[in-house]
Amino acid sequence: MSTRRALQLVLALIAVLVLVYPLLTSGSPVYSRLGALVLLAAIGASAWNIVGGYAGQVSVGHAVFFGFGAYSAVVVYTHLEWPPIAGAPIGMALSVLLAAVIGVPTLRLSGHYFSMATIAVAELVRVLSSTSEFLGGAQGLSGPPVPRGALDLSFISATPYYYIFLIVLAGLLGLTWWIERGRMGFYLRAIKDSERAARSLGVSAGNYKLQAYMLSAAFTSLAGSLYLTMFGFVDPESGFGILISVKMVVMAALGGAGQLLGPLIGAAILVPLEELSNSLLGGKGAGLTFVVYGAIIVIIARFLPSGLLSLVERRPTAPNSAAPKSTGKPVSGHAD
Amino acid sequence: MLIEARSVTKAFGAFKAVDDASVVVEEGEILGLIGPNGAGKSTFFNCLTGDLSVTSGSVHFDGIDVTRAAPEHRARLGLARTFQVPLTFESMSVLDNVTIGALLRHHNARDARTRARDVLQRVGLGPLSDAPAKSLGTPGRKRLEIARALASEPKALLLDEAMAGLTPTEVREAIELVRRIHGGGITIVIVEHIMEVIVSLARKVVVFHQGREIARGTPREVTGDPHVIAAYLGRRKVRT
Ligand SMILES: Nc1ncnc2c1ncn2[C@@H]1O[C@H](COP(=O)(O)OP(=O)(O)O)[C@@H](O)[C@H]1O
Ligand SMILES: [Mg+2]
Repeated sequence: MSTRRALQLVLALIAVLVLVYPLLTSGSPVYSRLGALVLLAAIGASAWNIVGGYAGQVSVGHAVFFGFGAYSAVVVYTHLEWPPIAGAPIGMALSVLLAAVIGVPTLRLSGHYFSMATIAVAELVRVLSSTSEFLGGAQGLSGPPVPRGALDLSFISATPYYYIFLIVLAGLLGLTWWIERGRMGFYLRAIKDSERAARSLGVSAGNYKLQAYMLSAAFTSLAGSLYLTMFGFVDPESGFGILISVKMVVMAALGGAGQLLGPLIGAAILVPLEELSNSLLGGKGAGLTFVVYGAIIVIIARFLPSGLLSLVERRPTAPNSAAPKSTGKPVSGHAD
Repeated sequence: MLIEARSVTKAFGAFKAVDDASVVVEEGEILGLIGPNGAGKSTFFNCLTGDLSVTSGSVHFDGIDVTRAAPEHRARLGLARTFQVPLTFESMSVLDNVTIGALLRHHNARDARTRARDVLQRVGLGPLSDAPAKSLGTPGRKRLEIARALASEPKALLLDEAMAGLTPTEVREAIELVRRIHGGGITIVIVEHIMEVIVSLARKVVVFHQGREIARGTPREVTGDPHVIAAYLGRRKVRT
């Protein structure tokens, strides 16, 4: 059996496991909840991956879109008594708009400006949200205490959330896969490798980066709305906190940024770790979370720049002909 | 005329890397651009392609004023280039590098790929199609950049020292390649240090020195020009 065949078999097995996971854990609420949390985190990290991984534009402020989604959901309930999920499209629209506002001026500049702008905006919004009465101030807002109908998506068991998140994640990964294989996927990779060369070949780098950013923002916002339906509560820290942005980056980077399944793998590793440390250390774990994520960032940067998936997916590097035949002395010329 | 640069000046601070250069490239010709290192050739190329914006002057391509146009816009109009220091897409295969170029005229990725294979065959990189671009040496990368540019089906191709660092055999092959590209109806502007290359390819040569044009004519005329000799000798004196 070839390694490729083995890999396919393993992937199929994992797919089946993912599908029946809630049945396997139905006895244990802790584990079904954990499954749902992994998928939710994977949605956020996969959304981040579109702009941060594929386009190589590292946003460290994606929490702002997550928060838009969560707050939109809770706000339509609080102020209009709509089902929270009805706020999802509003959050997505606002997020796309904000992405354009941030992206248009900064995506033209070098990547650092973009990264810094994304942090600055997210932090600004977090501070503003805590002073806004409309958004419930520092206390935050709560969703429906008891479900008023099926549309409230309020369940006691985590299993329904698991499947809702799974459907959304599958849709997002399907879309990403489709983009990856088409013109836009090629162009995003080209921009990531050399924006200058890409533009010399007619690629409107600015437009493609912006499109990736807006798409990414929309799905991150959806993740925020879904978060609210499950947790029923959001405050400035759980909506706009910098740790939310950092988690998306770290999960994607750990699994493999710019790879379809990278963020999911990162989420499947980090979410259980975090839940474990939370249950062991309780509230005291909050500070430690930062330390752990910091350590993971250092480790990835130092030893695993392409993420865990690069360890499995290292394709056989083509025939031996790959080596260039450049023997002999150069005639002349200068290589700056 | 296909490319027309009128009084192009590019200043970095107070220093004029290109100073009042006016160059016309006729459709279908091969124009050589020579001059000692630091003469402003690459900077001038960058002004033509839009990688740099001109400080003053204008650039027209195919009858359109592109002075303020972005590089990608000029590429779409049919202006392609290679870079003196190759900028290949390092994470991609050779084929994917060329596919990026082909996507300019073929919206469907599969069509672009087919087109890219075609171009790779023509430039002699066919056997390396599936190799990672980063496995190529400098000569391979320069050839790959030519292939990539060709795949974008340009009207004009600007080659910035595409043959630097090549062995004599490779240079001969590269000259052959440029001839074939030119034979396919593509106008070429070539910057090259190797005089033999310029002589065998270009009928018209423009010589730059310290950002200014100091001579133009046939290769024979400019190599005999006292200003040109002084510029090159002057450089040699500085070097030793
Ligand atoms: N971005 C830049 N900033 C400042 N000076 C530059 C820049 N690019 C080129 N130069 C200077 O302009 C001059 C011309 O450079 P260049 O166009 O690369 O010359 P050539 O290609 O003829 O060797 C050189 O003196 C170089 O140092
Ligand atoms: Mg140069």
